[in-house]
Amino acid sequence: MEASSEPLLRLRDLSTDIALRRGTVHALDHVNLEVNQGETLGIVGESGSGKTMTVLSVMGLLPTGGSVVGGEILFDGRDLRTMPAPELRRVRGVEMGMVFQDPLTSLNPTMRIGAQVAEPLRVHQGVSKAEARERAVEILRRVGMPRPDKIVDDYPHQLSGGMRQRVVIAMALIRSPRLLIADEPTTALDVTTQRQILELIDDLREEFRMAVILVTHDLGVIAGRADRVAVMYAGRVVETATTTELFRAPRHRYTEALMRALPESAADGRLYSIPGLPPDLSRPLTGCRFAPRCRFATDECRTTDVALTGDGHKFACLHPVAEPVPITVSTGHHRAAATSAADPILTVRDLVKEYDAGGAGLRRTAGRVSAVAGVSFDVKPGETLGIVGESGCGKSTVGRLVAGLEPATGGQIIVDGTDIATLDRRARHHMHRKVQLMFQDSYAAMNPRMRIDSILTEPLEIQQVGDAAARRARVSELLDQVGLPRRALERYPHEFSGGQLQRIGLARSLALRPRLIVADEPVSALDVSVQAQVLNLMRDLQGELGLSYVFISHDLSVVDYMADRIGVMYLGKLVEMGPAHQVVRAPRHPYTQALLDAVPSPDPGRTPSPDTTIRGELPSALNPPTGCRFRTRCPLAQDVCATEPVLEGGPHQVACHFPLRQEAPAA
Amino acid sequence: MTRYLLTRLGQALVIVILVTLITFVILHLLPGGAARAILGKEATLEQIAAFNHEMGYDRPLWQQYAMYLQRLVQGDLGYSFQLNQSVAEAIWQRLPKTMLLSLASTFLAVVVAVPLGVVQAVRRNRWPDYTINGLSLLAYATPIFFMGLMMIILFSQVWPVLPPEAPQGFTLAEVLADPAGLVLPTLTLTILTVAVYSRYVRSSMVDNLNENYVRTARSKGLSEGRVIVGHTLRNGLFPVITLLGMYLPALFSGALVVERLFNYPGMGLLFWQAALKRDYPILLGVTLLISVATVLGALVADVLYAAVDPRVRLKAGRS
Repeated sequence: MEASSEPLLRLRDLSTDIALRRGTVHALDHVNLEVNQGETLGIVGESGSGKTMTVLSVMGLLPTGGSVVGGEILFDGRDLRTMPAPELRRVRGVEMGMVFQDPLTSLNPTMRIGAQVAEPLRVHQGVSKAEARERAVEILRRVGMPRPDKIVDDYPHQLSGGMRQRVVIAMALIRSPRLLIADEPTTALDVTTQRQILELIDDLREEFRMAVILVTHDLGVIAGRADRVAVMYAGRVVETATTTELFRAPRHRYTEALMRALPESAADGRLYSIPGLPPDLSRPLTGCRFAPRCRFATDECRTTDVALTGDGHKFACLHPVAEPVPITVSTGHHRAAATSAADPILTVRDLVKEYDAGGAGLRRTAGRVSAVAGVSFDVKPGETLGIVGESGCGKSTVGRLVAGLEPATGGQIIVDGTDIATLDRRARHHMHRKVQLMFQDSYAAMNPRMRIDSILTEPLEIQQVGDAAARRARVSELLDQVGLPRRALERYPHEFSGGQLQRIGLARSLALRPRLIVADEPVSALDVSVQAQVLNLMRDLQGELGLSYVFISHDLSVVDYMADRIGVMYLGKLVEMGPAHQVVRAPRHPYTQALLDAVPSPDPGRTPSPDTTIRGELPSALNPPTGCRFRTRCPLAQDVCATEPVLEGGPHQVACHFPLRQEAPAA
Repeated sequence: MTRYLLTRLGQALVIVILVTLITFVILHLLPGGAARAILGKEATLEQIAAFNHEMGYDRPLWQQYAMYLQRLVQGDLGYSFQLNQSVAEAIWQRLPKTMLLSLASTFLAVVVAVPLGVVQAVRRNRWPDYTINGLSLLAYATPIFFMGLMMIILFSQVWPVLPPEAPQGFTLAEVLADPAGLVLPTLTLTILTVAVYSRYVRSSMVDNLNENYVRTARSKGLSEGRVIVGHTLRNGLFPVITLLGMYLPALFSGALVVERLFNYPGMGLLFWQAALKRDYPILLGVTLLISVATVLGALVADVLYAAVDPRVRLKAGRS
């Protein structure tokens, strides 16, 4: 941190409105923030909290209808709001740089990488074409792009998500900005890529002596990277403090609730969840905006506007947390192991799925994509099996195969003692009663023109369960189970929030009283507070109904909270499988270790060991590496890894020639 | 790329062969056969038999089809007894004139519609957008013959500056010698086309302006003009390529109503007169030509797409 008298960026009472057809949303309400030179400010909050609107206001990139309606944006002492347009563009294009959330759509699809990266130089500094190209190659090399002299002439679609995010970062850095704004820069990326990108931003901040604003919903990302943190809720800053201070002793009740809702802090086996939803910002609001969801709210909270007070550690709360309540990172809970004597509800043996790559007809030469390559596991009644892995590892394909949405290329799927490959159409149709799916994006998975009533009744009609009256009764029962009011039946999907939609999705998958639910990233699109509600609900229903789950997720902490056993997949193979607490706390496969180390921990003191870092990109599943598929990125790989390791061991199995540890003795 | 082109050409060829098969079948479904259609009701059975033998109509169908194809390949589309000239010749005389009209109006339409659409998208839901939108809806909803009539009344009666009839020259050169006569038919066609194109350009530009990459471009501090011309326009014009591809057949078929209205001796008029006189060889020849043009239009659009959109280019190259 630099001892500079004046902060580089200071927001004074910044207010931003967004005019929509249904009314004006007051997205930001008197936001005050500062960022000093060389400092990283983290802005954290749930969707709709105004964290993105804050940085878009600074950059002048508000969406259609959005405008700054009050306050000052002081950059280096000058108010951007009163600056003439050409000068403002120069400040934006030279002194600031922004990295966006979605690298897949943030680049112009028809413009070469080099031209896009060097455009600020061409426009603001009149650099020649040849020199611009040279500078682009140089900066691409600096952000860790392999073969930058080739990449400059490529188009965005030729690069992976992580590579594209490096391009966006290069584009922001080529101007040597004094302020870098990163808006959820890694949310769309896998954890191992996320770690590389965050480290890159850290390194470059030091090298370029930039100020950084890091906007994220992920407390873990903030904890490891930011110097100071601002917590936002419903368009306001509710707490700011240094990162260590904030995580050691959060004062605002919302900050506290956020931390308690993290799956990592579910020490007692149950997640704290924040009831209700954030307020509608198009309505006039009085008092503390968190009051309706706060356990400690009093009448005073609901009527007085609470200002941000304090020195250094500021918070806007009338009943702040008194003593430090550090979040307890769970040390693993032993869930009552499912009765191992029972016959498994699902058995998968040597499951294989391959897809033809590319073209059809005349051009079927490209080869085959090996999505799932010999996966075997059991799921016992009442048990949750978690499957984790990065995108492209085949975990969702396993889910679709088990649910019968796609035929397997090879292997067996045995549901409740019956191999589904041997079933005829009618019997397979009937089998769907036992296995149901729950999707990540329930909104996309529901017909937008069907009422909830029809959505929930449809499975019953298709399977011809009961008569109309019985179906109505069943649907009401389902709503009760997932905690939604009866009047939800007459509404359409778009009238519900993300968390409510996941409840409806769960109700739909429960309609046929299945024995097993395959849940594919069921909470990945949800905010922490709502995620906790859905996860708790899923666990409650499991206890009540004796359900089994196959819980697929990229998020290790969520799987750790939900699963009895965890299987780790890499490039179509299970590399490790065992009891959840052992896999997460004593991993045996180097990939699992790397995955765990890459997860940002909401504990600022913890720094991951650098020696397990994996670099580079996931190899293509169209000619996967022979032998151990992880060996191309494994820090421990030797010649013997060219022969395929077998998944072996007792309850805690690993497929590795050099497992990190011996299996823990059975307790 | 070459491989992609060859595949697409192969597909196009299959479709064209299917089209010839269909036109051939239609030719043989004529009531009373071709002989009756040509020789008339008075012809004796002997005359018909002699005609059929001469034309090869007494041979098995597959042989006839083979002969039909063979003649097609040589450019022989048949003979119109009513015009007393070969179909190919009749088409060849009129095609350049039709293409002149279509190309001129399409070119003008693109030149006018693209800026209009861009202005609408940039000023969307404000008065320039509403005004242009209203006018183009009006033009779109007006029947083309009515539009043409209004043009004639306005510009050659009320304010007589332009001739109401197209030039009647026999060759392209003769037509071009009288450019004033071309103005009204060209304008009539242009107005309608502008109305269609500008709507596509508008909606495509609006979509693109809402894309994240445009936000990225703005974050570089680019001027609005550079954001629109340098980043959005190229992506926004993709639908126009499809439109142009779909429009290609019209280059050959001509604009029937406009040609009739202004008495312009192009393909449209040829088809119109042939339909009135049941001149089947002409009808079939023109139909075949338009079918081929349609298939080619789709192909040209795809190739153009591949040329301007690197994503398509690569997909094609890889597979």
